[in-house]
Amino acid sequence: MQRKAPPIRAVDGVTFSINEGETFALVGESGCGKTTVSKMILLLERPTRGVIRFRGRDVHTLKGRELRGYKRSVQAVFQDPYSSLDPRMQVLDIIGEPLQVHLGMSGRSLRTRVAELLQSVGLSPEAGTNFPHQFSGGQRQRVAIARSLALQPQLIVLDEPVSGLDVSIRAQILNLLGELQQNLGLSYLLISHDLAIVEHMSSMVGVMYVGKMVELTTKDELYRGSLHPYTLALMASVPQPDPDIPMGTTISGEVASPINPPSGCRFHPRCPLYGDSDICRDQEPDWREVKTGHLVACHKV
Amino acid sequence: MGSRVMQTGIDTDAGMKGSPLLRVEGLKTYFFQRNAVLKAVDGVSFTVGQGEAVGLVGESGSGKTMTCLSLMQLTPKPGSRIVEGEVWFRDQNLLALHEHEMREYRGHKMAMIMQDPQTSLNPVYTVGNQVTEPVNLHLKQRGQRALERVIEALRAVRIPNPEQRLGQYPHQFSGGMRQRVVAAMGLVTNPELLIADEPTTSLDVTIQAQFLSLIRELQLKYGTSVIWVTHDLGIVAQMCDRVNVMYAGRIVESAPVRQIYKQPQHPYTRALLDSVPIMGVKRDRLYQIEGQPPSLRAIPSGCPFWPRCPAAMDICRQEYPPRTSLGGDNFVHCWLAEK
Repeated sequence: MQRKAPPIRAVDGVTFSINEGETFALVGESGCGKTTVSKMILLLERPTRGVIRFRGRDVHTLKGRELRGYKRSVQAVFQDPYSSLDPRMQVLDIIGEPLQVHLGMSGRSLRTRVAELLQSVGLSPEAGTNFPHQFSGGQRQRVAIARSLALQPQLIVLDEPVSGLDVSIRAQILNLLGELQQNLGLSYLLISHDLAIVEHMSSMVGVMYVGKMVELTTKDELYRGSLHPYTLALMASVPQPDPDIPMGTTISGEVASPINPPSGCRFHPRCPLYGDSDICRDQEPDWREVKTGHLVACHKV
Repeated sequence: MGSRVMQTGIDTDAGMKGSPLLRVEGLKTYFFQRNAVLKAVDGVSFTVGQGEAVGLVGESGSGKTMTCLSLMQLTPKPGSRIVEGEVWFRDQNLLALHEHEMREYRGHKMAMIMQDPQTSLNPVYTVGNQVTEPVNLHLKQRGQRALERVIEALRAVRIPNPEQRLGQYPHQFSGGMRQRVVAAMGLVTNPELLIADEPTTSLDVTIQAQFLSLIRELQLKYGTSVIWVTHDLGIVAQMCDRVNVMYAGRIVESAPVRQIYKQPQHPYTRALLDSVPIMGVKRDRLYQIEGQPPSLRAIPSGCPFWPRCPAAMDICRQEYPPRTSLGGDNFVHCWLAEK
């Protein structure tokens, strides 16, 4: 006998836009759906409902030349520099592959372009003949960035770009990403759990919890005046590298699971504002613009 | 659990009153490979006071985990060996003990909790079974007495409905709860020293916060000393009374937590603090340290930090700087401080 399990709503009604040249950050804990959102943008997952538009065109309906054009325009850099590079390919082939496949480049022009890309990420052109295992984590991440730049993309998805790196290396990579954005006019979708890095890098932030976006606003608004109790709890949970800034009050309970989310507002079991309110328990809050440019989903705001 | 009620050392420059619980002196642990000797821990000395929380901070290759494994005599064998040093736990040098005597300490008076609860917990035994094991083994308690102790330990780490959950398996717990079960296993024998090696790396931020607050609370209640091994400068700032910064197998700076963050003396400490973004503090560019932490196969001569140090002098390349006292138990190893 077969029992049909209810679908898991990994991402449940999320709306946001990324402007040209800016960094948009998606923040949230396990199961919030931020990685699934990025996969849908990268065409690695299909949306069940809803639309993703790039320059006005629905990306999941593109075909042929337009589809190839989109794939060139949107690239990704992933968290683990140890598994994102093929260990059996030389760096110049790793970076050169997209150039060969999409642009049909070869020979000297290919090598020149690869050398340029290596230099743009702070590696020497000679590094091209090496294999990934010959590099440190930070250097591998630079290779991954160079590869993502090969086709002159407009948007790069950065999925926890420095979490897998030593602390003293992170600044190098974050500064590099900042420079590249300035010089090349790139837009970034930053996915991160590190609120300090998000504040440093982004201009817009969307906070997600169990498949839903709970707050969306500019970086300054979020860090100075966030409104959603989950955002406030997240901020209070971050241990600051300053012994004079103590951590705020922690919230109890587990991060809810998208497999069996709580009824009504998914955050209500852990919410300090809940107080047994029927509406929080029974009704999902509306996504409302409570201030200009500041959207929140909460009954109590 | 016992009812020892002690004050955790608030950071005082004068250090802890009374003799320290743990005193590590000149610890050296090397890996012996066919054509290389890797000096993972190369002359490490530090103390941990009663009820004190001490941080061992460093990056890859710093030696912080190997230091802790050396304290517990759990370094990988064959291949590595503690070649020198003393580890005084009260008035007993642990390195002079035989393995069967060491068992009195390991898992009993000293416990270690590590990064990945998946590997610390046996998937085919119930949680109750695993938390009971140290009670049977070390406290020689069985039956009802053991059960009561186990339930109390699970309650202390805030596992809801411990009586019911005893019979469950690790996979039936969330990541955060599994880590708390591991903490319960470590704390059930009421150890005097808890070594926490990156215990929150796999946890979500709000779950990490719960865990940190739990350890802090247990520490205050039972007077347990804690060694926090981490690269996370936020955790160190919030949880530690005293900080030892490690680089390439040695402690380069040791001081109370406020002093380390507000008046760092070693260029590496300073650079590390400057390179980490802090919420609420705007910086256009983060200070970046060039290069990367050295591999154990290629530790630079003299002071191993010199290739990356903005203030490196000739002597730094030639000779490892001696210990410069900063008053009390505080010190730094840097030629700049020696001047």
